[in-house]
Amino acid sequence: MAAVSLPTTVEMPASPRTLQLVKRERLLVGAHLLTALFALMVGVFMGPFQAFHRSPAFIQYFPTIPVFTYYYQAVTAHGVMNALFFTTFFIIGFTYFVTERSLQRPLRFLPAAWVGFASMFIGLTMMLIVLLTEPQRSAVLFTFYPPYIAPATFYLGLVLLVVGSWIASAILFFTYRDWKREHPNERVPLAVFILVINFIVWDIATIGVAVEILFMLLPASLGLIQGVDPQLARTLFWFFGHPLVYFWLLPAYVSWYTMLPKQAGGRLFSEPLARVAFLLFLFFSVPVGVHHQFSDPGISASSKGIHTFLTFMVSLPSFMTAFNVGAALENAGRNNGAKGLFDWIWKQRWSDPVVAAQLFAMLSFIAGGFSGLINASSQLNATIHNTSWVPAHFHMTLGSAVTLTYISVVYWLLPAIRGRALFSKKLAVAQSATWFVGMVVFSASMGSAGLAGAPRRAITATAPYLTQEMAFWLNLTAVGGVILLVSSILLYVNIFGTLFLSRKPAPEGEVPITTRSGDTRSPLWFERWGFWLGIVALLILVGYGPVFAEALDVNGWIIQRYVPYINTPMR
Amino acid sequence: MELNKLERYWLIAVGVVLGAFTAATIVALLFFNIRLPSPVERIDPQRLEETEFARPGIRRLTGSRYEAYIVAKSWAFEVGPDAGTPPTLRFPAGSEVTFYVTSKDVMHGFQIEGHTANLELVPGQIARTTARFNRPGRYNIICNHYCGAGHHLMYATILVE
Repeated sequence: MAAVSLPTTVEMPASPRTLQLVKRERLLVGAHLLTALFALMVGVFMGPFQAFHRSPAFIQYFPTIPVFTYYYQAVTAHGVMNALFFTTFFIIGFTYFVTERSLQRPLRFLPAAWVGFASMFIGLTMMLIVLLTEPQRSAVLFTFYPPYIAPATFYLGLVLLVVGSWIASAILFFTYRDWKREHPNERVPLAVFILVINFIVWDIATIGVAVEILFMLLPASLGLIQGVDPQLARTLFWFFGHPLVYFWLLPAYVSWYTMLPKQAGGRLFSEPLARVAFLLFLFFSVPVGVHHQFSDPGISASSKGIHTFLTFMVSLPSFMTAFNVGAALENAGRNNGAKGLFDWIWKQRWSDPVVAAQLFAMLSFIAGGFSGLINASSQLNATIHNTSWVPAHFHMTLGSAVTLTYISVVYWLLPAIRGRALFSKKLAVAQSATWFVGMVVFSASMGSAGLAGAPRRAITATAPYLTQEMAFWLNLTAVGGVILLVSSILLYVNIFGTLFLSRKPAPEGEVPITTRSGDTRSPLWFERWGFWLGIVALLILVGYGPVFAEALDVNGWIIQRYVPYINTPMR
Repeated sequence: MELNKLERYWLIAVGVVLGAFTAATIVALLFFNIRLPSPVERIDPQRLEETEFARPGIRRLTGSRYEAYIVAKSWAFEVGPDAGTPPTLRFPAGSEVTFYVTSKDVMHGFQIEGHTANLELVPGQIARTTARFNRPGRYNIICNHYCGAGHHLMYATILVE
């Protein structure tokens, strides 16, 4: 084996914890972060207007809502921009930064990182163009279930996003492998351990959606085939769709496990237990997707039972996280002078937006996690499936827990990239608090409306089946939307303020990175990936073998394609 | 790798919670008879007129048991001739109804207010669910899966007398 050659020409920061970024970092991480924030800006401002379209009282007083007129265009743009583009750009930029700083080496194949970025950026551009120019024909929502088929540009945009993410994953794996060869007897820093698992899960999961798009949706959109089997397409989508949520969650966990203890002034309770938790994520993230399909006619009840059980298993590492990170926060609270049983909860650095945003994120995740267990319980799901309870759930998890954690990263990383202090800390704390309050109001009322029977993704304001109970909760949802609109404006005032108005130089301080694992207890075989992949393959076979066997048993016909909005078959 | 005492207690508590959720799903299945949809049959949505779905509507079985055949299309539920607006199905209180539902065009949803009947209507598949109607009243069937511009107008009603 040839010796690993370190490109010596690549400039490295003076110390792994310095807030002074070298130009290369500033450009690469900055490009990803700013693109992510741009996608979020487009997506997030679509949100409140949907809540308004769903509220009968609001529609009565404001029959025309500005910015956009077609509700389902907004639903599609909101989902695609927030859940797919914002997250992926952010995660990859964050992963590059954390990996380089933690391993103290430049990324392997650095120019490829720019190729990946360009691919994703072109994907984003194509997606925005198709959403703007073909608002009705591209209104397939971010789950893009056939037989509705969007213009080909929609799918090509997604393909380019995923291809870019695959390049990023290869860069991460090779950088890690090089480090491991030089440090065979060391445990990789926890942050990179988590990120490696995150991208393994991502690469496996995206096989599902890649097959769906490349062999079904894109050919159907181009007219190469007359139609597809929607049941098979849904199954392939959810093979991707549920691990996708862990792809969002695990980078947030990187911050909670490896950064928050430093930021809050405590220390992590147990690093070995953290590694066990993430190995559990590796095992159980993929073979759980059928819990999104409990109401599907084409999947047997026994497979649904297996996926129920596996979903309960994948909640285990999040329970472990609650203990481990909770203990780290208790430690921080006691260092701040907490004496009683619970006062450590209040004795935190609430005035520091980086800490406050993450504390609000965790509070949301308690509600989000438990509502997730309800969704996963196969029969309980029958009462809430496709009701507005479901978006209530994922606005507590993705919309609050994950997004607020990403925003907390923005609050320290963006100033470092710009080389200026955050525009306003107070505004940032206010933003986190209003986001939390807005999401709680929004999700509590969306959840209650769902229990009353209000469907998700529908212009409920003018629906004939609306009951008084649904109407009450949906009106409250619009109140949540107003609070969130204020919070979003606060967020972008701070971002643009930091970029263009802040005159103060970047504050002294450190990047919350750990370069050496202080953990001497976890066994080195935790990093024997070939073995773990064998277990993953086995679990996927058990979970998905029977499901795909059923789904592939088609009778020879295909279901013809339809044009969204006008509902006529495509000729 | 040793476990801290508190950590062990926590993991036991988590095990109890997850065990309770698992037990609840088993109880719901065995004692409340809440069953999830399972494959019935595939069907060609272009040729529904050659099947039982050619005549949507109610079939009376023995006693208080009924079957209802329903076709979902953009943007209405076809529940039989002379069903009115909104299309209405009538059952006496105490009926047990097995619904067979399929979609003629795109994805639709089928949810009965106040009941556990909740189906994804995937074109090419027959979906089946059973509901008991004990209390008289009006229960809407709501399309809860996005199906295009008229999605929010798509519903039917069950009148229990």
